[in-house]
Amino acid sequence: MKKISFRDVENLSAYLDGQTSQAERTRLETRLKSEPELAGILEDLREARQILRRTPKRRAPRNFTLTPRMAGLKPPIPRIVPALSWASAVAMLVFAGILGPNLLGRFSFGAASPMMSAAYGGGVGGGPPAAEGPYPETPVSDSSMELTPTPELMMMTLPEATAAPESRMIQPEETAAKASPDFNTWLILLPGVAAVLVGAALVLRWNSIRQFRQKSNIK
Amino acid sequence: MTVLGREDDPAHFYFPRGFHPDAQFVYNIGMDETALIIEAQHGNLDAFNSLVLTYQDALFNTALRILSDEDLAADATQEAFLSAFRALNSYRGGSFKAWLLRTVTNACYDELRRRKRRPTTPLEPETEEGEEMESPRWLADPSASPEEQVDQADLEHAIQHCLDALPTDFKTVVVMADLQGLDYDEVAQAVRVPLGTIKSRLARARLRLRECLQGFAELLPAAFRLEKERGA
Repeated sequence: MKKISFRDVENLSAYLDGQTSQAERTRLETRLKSEPELAGILEDLREARQILRRTPKRRAPRNFTLTPRMAGLKPPIPRIVPALSWASAVAMLVFAGILGPNLLGRFSFGAASPMMSAAYGGGVGGGPPAAEGPYPETPVSDSSMELTPTPELMMMTLPEATAAPESRMIQPEETAAKASPDFNTWLILLPGVAAVLVGAALVLRWNSIRQFRQKSNIK
Repeated sequence: MTVLGREDDPAHFYFPRGFHPDAQFVYNIGMDETALIIEAQHGNLDAFNSLVLTYQDALFNTALRILSDEDLAADATQEAFLSAFRALNSYRGGSFKAWLLRTVTNACYDELRRRKRRPTTPLEPETEEGEEMESPRWLADPSASPEEQVDQADLEHAIQHCLDALPTDFKTVVVMADLQGLDYDEVAQAVRVPLGTIKSRLARARLRLRECLQGFAELLPAAFRLEKERGA
């Protein structure tokens, strides 16, 4: 009788599970017919496997499903929120773009530009108003210097100084009054639009977080 | 169960694909496992939870037989599913059950190492008389008669005792092969050892268990006789 090695026991265990090659299976079956001790070991292995396979299977004591919080998932952002955020940012940029030049224009009337002063008849730097009436003639001290007006000279005579239009300091309030009414409308409308968009984005975001937390607390 | 998250659902406009705040396990259990795994790999938690429901019993039983403690087994099972969800993209095919059993085996090994560093005396629940409390009702097989339930409990205690006497590596292999029904390739995938090592460990474990159970068979003939009749 051939001595039984542990390799034989391994092969018998694999034979029991159908994990041997055809050649090995044939060899073992031949030996099993002629070696009762080998057959006894095979029977022991079969009984052990049979008992183990009949071990009572327990049901899980609870559900092991994962909540979003356990899984580390972050609250989802509704798709419309990024669009609202961008729209509010654009609205604020446009608001700043309109407000900035508007404020610059107001501050520049304190040192009025020459063009602006000439348009409203004021002196450069806001000097006193021009005197009314024709310019006074320069007195002649020597009669020999008196010119006899000739027709050509008459034609070359400077026209009478036209009376300067009544000039005065232009007040900032008048500028504001004369300013385009569209500026004021945009200055109010754009921040309002931006605030509404941001508010809508915040509300949607808060709602999604609230629902996410509710779902996380459900067991 | 209905499937939500589709284009005809108004909430689809507001939330990313696959997520619905009211959805709980909305995927049909009959859905193909492969499809569920793919959905779960894309971050769909409901699809993953469908897989959890399918395999939680197998993972819990494996952990229970390795750790021999229900509370620790529950913790290890939960930890295993958490790890599985995080590492789901590392699953490249093959037996998904074996892949999951590997995660629970790792969780059990972590607990055993922890236990080795800080050995504790497990608190067995006791009655007022100081006797060990019976297993809770939900663990019992509702279809078995009272005598059969007693025999089942005795058999289970005997098997668990003999399993605990095995080295951890042997115990893991025999639990996967004989208790969970995995073939040798799946066990090798789960335990990450060569096929030859699986054969060797399984053979040794079965011989040792046979010797240990032989003693209990003499003490508990009813339980083992019942098993022999069932196995015939």
